[in-house]
Amino acid sequence: MDFLQTYGFLIVTMLQQGLLGLSLYFPLMAGQLSLASPGFYSLGGYIAAILLTAPQFAPWRDALGGWIFPVSWLLSALASALLGVLVGIPALRLRGIYLALATIAFVQILQVLSLNLSITGGAVGLFGIPQAFGFVDRWQYVFVFLPTVLIVLLFAHRLQGSRVGRAFRAIREDELAADAMGIPPTRYKVLAFVIGAVVAGVVGAMSAPFLNTWNARQGTFDASIAFLAYTLIGGSRSMWGPLLGGALLASLPELLRGLADWRLVINGLVLVVASLYLPQGIVGALGRLRRPAPPQRPAPPAPPAVRGPALGDTP
Amino acid sequence: MTELLQNLINGLAIGSVYAIFALGYTLVFSILGIINFAHGAVFTLGAYFTYTLVVGQFENNGLIKGVNLFPAGSPFHGSAWAFAAAAVIGALLSGVVAVIIERLAFRPMRARGADPLLALVSSLGVALVIVNLIQILVGAESYSFPTDIYGDLKPALILHVGGKLVVVRTVQVIIFAVSMVLLLILGYVIGRTRTGKALRAVAENPGTASLLGISVERFIVITFFLSGFLGGLAGTLVSTAFSVAGPYFGVAYGLKGLAVIVLGGLGSIPGAVVGGLVIGLAEAFVPAQYSAYKDAVAFALLFVILLLRPQGLLGRLQIQKV
Repeated sequence: MDFLQTYGFLIVTMLQQGLLGLSLYFPLMAGQLSLASPGFYSLGGYIAAILLTAPQFAPWRDALGGWIFPVSWLLSALASALLGVLVGIPALRLRGIYLALATIAFVQILQVLSLNLSITGGAVGLFGIPQAFGFVDRWQYVFVFLPTVLIVLLFAHRLQGSRVGRAFRAIREDELAADAMGIPPTRYKVLAFVIGAVVAGVVGAMSAPFLNTWNARQGTFDASIAFLAYTLIGGSRSMWGPLLGGALLASLPELLRGLADWRLVINGLVLVVASLYLPQGIVGALGRLRRPAPPQRPAPPAPPAVRGPALGDTP
Repeated sequence: MTELLQNLINGLAIGSVYAIFALGYTLVFSILGIINFAHGAVFTLGAYFTYTLVVGQFENNGLIKGVNLFPAGSPFHGSAWAFAAAAVIGALLSGVVAVIIERLAFRPMRARGADPLLALVSSLGVALVIVNLIQILVGAESYSFPTDIYGDLKPALILHVGGKLVVVRTVQVIIFAVSMVLLLILGYVIGRTRTGKALRAVAENPGTASLLGISVERFIVITFFLSGFLGGLAGTLVSTAFSVAGPYFGVAYGLKGLAVIVLGGLGSIPGAVVGGLVIGLAEAFVPAQYSAYKDAVAFALLFVILLLRPQGLLGRLQIQKV
C-alpha cells in the first residue's frame, strides 16, 4: 500500500496522459494530424466539473448518486462527438500543417471562452469537485483509468482489422487513390476525428474529479504540443506508441524532480534528442531491433527537395 | 470618429510589429517548409538581450546579472542612441541564436529527410530549453524598459478631433517607422538583389537551385539569421511599448504569429505584412467591453480564413499532384 500511496498519483497520471496520446492516434490512423485534443479534453472536464459542482444540478446528483460519474462521462462523450462533427467537417478539408494550425486555433478559441465565461468559473476555474465514487486515495483512480486504457486499446485493435480501419489506412497512405477506390475520405476522416475527440472528452470528464479542480490551463497550446510529442516520441504507427510516449513523458518531470529548476530544460532537450534520433518513435525503434535488419541496399540518393512529403504544403 | 482614428493608430503600430515578427516564420517556412516553433522564444530573447545591454541589471534571484553596454559615466549612457545600439545588437544576437538553433535542431533532421512534423517537436523542445534557461539565469520577473530615454512620457502628437483627444505615443511612431523601414529594406533585398533572387530560387526549388550553383545550406543559414534578427527586434519593440512580461512572454506572440502567416498566406512575404496589419487592426477595434476576447480574434480569423480560403489572403493555391 505504501507503494501505491507514493506512486499512485504518478501511475494514474501516466495512464491518463497515455490515453490523451491515444486520442491523437485515431485521427492519425486516417493520416490526419489534429492538435484539437486539449480542446475536447477541456470541454469534457468542464462538463463533468459543472455537473458535479453547480448548484442547479444538485437534484440530479441526489437522484443519481454514484451514477452521476458515468453519466458525466457519457454526456462529455456526446458533447465531444457533436463538437467534433461540427469542427471536423469544415476543418478536415485541410491537410498537414494547415489542419494542425486550424486545430490549434480551435483550442485557443475554446481557451479564451473558458477564461471569460461565468459558467466555467472564468480565470479561476472550478473548485472542490467531489471524488469519483467517494474515492479516498488518488491511486484508486487506477480503477477508472486502467479499464479505460484497456477498452480504448481493444477498440483500436479491433478497429485496425475492420473495414473502417482499413479505409483509414487507405486514406493515410493515399487519399486520392482511396477516393478513386470508392472510399469517401471526408466521412472517414470525420469519423476518425470524432473518435479521437470522444476519447479526449471522456478522459477530461474522468480527470476533473481526479484533479479536484478544473480551469483553462487544462486545454492549452502547451497541451497540444505535449500530446503531439507523446505520439511522435512513442511512435505514431502503432497504438502502443502514443500510450508509451504519454506514460514516459508524463513520468519524466517526476523522475527528474531532484533536478528542480533544470527539469524543464532537460524535458526540452529530451524532446529535441528524441525527435532527432528516434524518427519512428520508441516503438518503431524497438520494432527495428526485434526484426532482422533488412538486406543492405545502397542508400537512396538524398531527396533534392527539403520539403517533407508527409506534411505537404497544400491546404 | 476620434475612436476610429485612435484605434487605427494603435492597430497599425501593433500590427506592424506582428508583421515583422511573422516574417521570421514565413521566411523559414518558404525555404524549408517547416514551422519553427522556437521563433517565439527568440522573440523573448531579443527583448532580454536588449534589456541587459541597456540596463544591465536583473533582480537577484537569477544566476547572472547582465552586462551594461553603456554604464553610468560612459558617453552614451541613457541616450536614445545607446538604446538603438542595444536594440540592434540584441537583434543580431537573436539572429545568431536562430542560426545555432538551425544547426542543432533542424540540420541533423534535414540530412536524414525526416518528417517535418518532427521539426515541429524538436523546435518546441528548443523553445522549452530557451524559456526555462532564461528563467534559471535571470529569474521569472517582468521588467520595464526605461522608456523615458526617448521621451515616451511625452506623447509625440496629440490631435484635437471634435473636442476629444487622439494620442499618438512616441513608442508607437518608433515601432511603426522601424517596422516599415525594415519591411522596405527586406522587400528591396528579396525583390531586387542577387542574394534575394538566390533566396527565392531556393524557396522555389532547392534541388534546382543547388544545380544552378547556389549553396542551399548557406542560404538556409542566412534565412535563419534574418528570421532571428526580425524576431529579436520585434521582441525589443513590443517590450518597449509594454514591458518584458517574464520568460514566457513570447509564447502568446509565437501563436499569434502563426495566425498572422496563415492569414496572409503561408510562405508569402507580402502576406505576412498584410496578415500582421489585419490582425493588429482587428484587435484594436475590439470594443472595450469585450477586450477579454481580444486574444481570440487572431485565432477566430485564422479559423475562418482556413475554411474560406485555405491558401490565405495572398497565398498561391498549389495543385495537389497525383
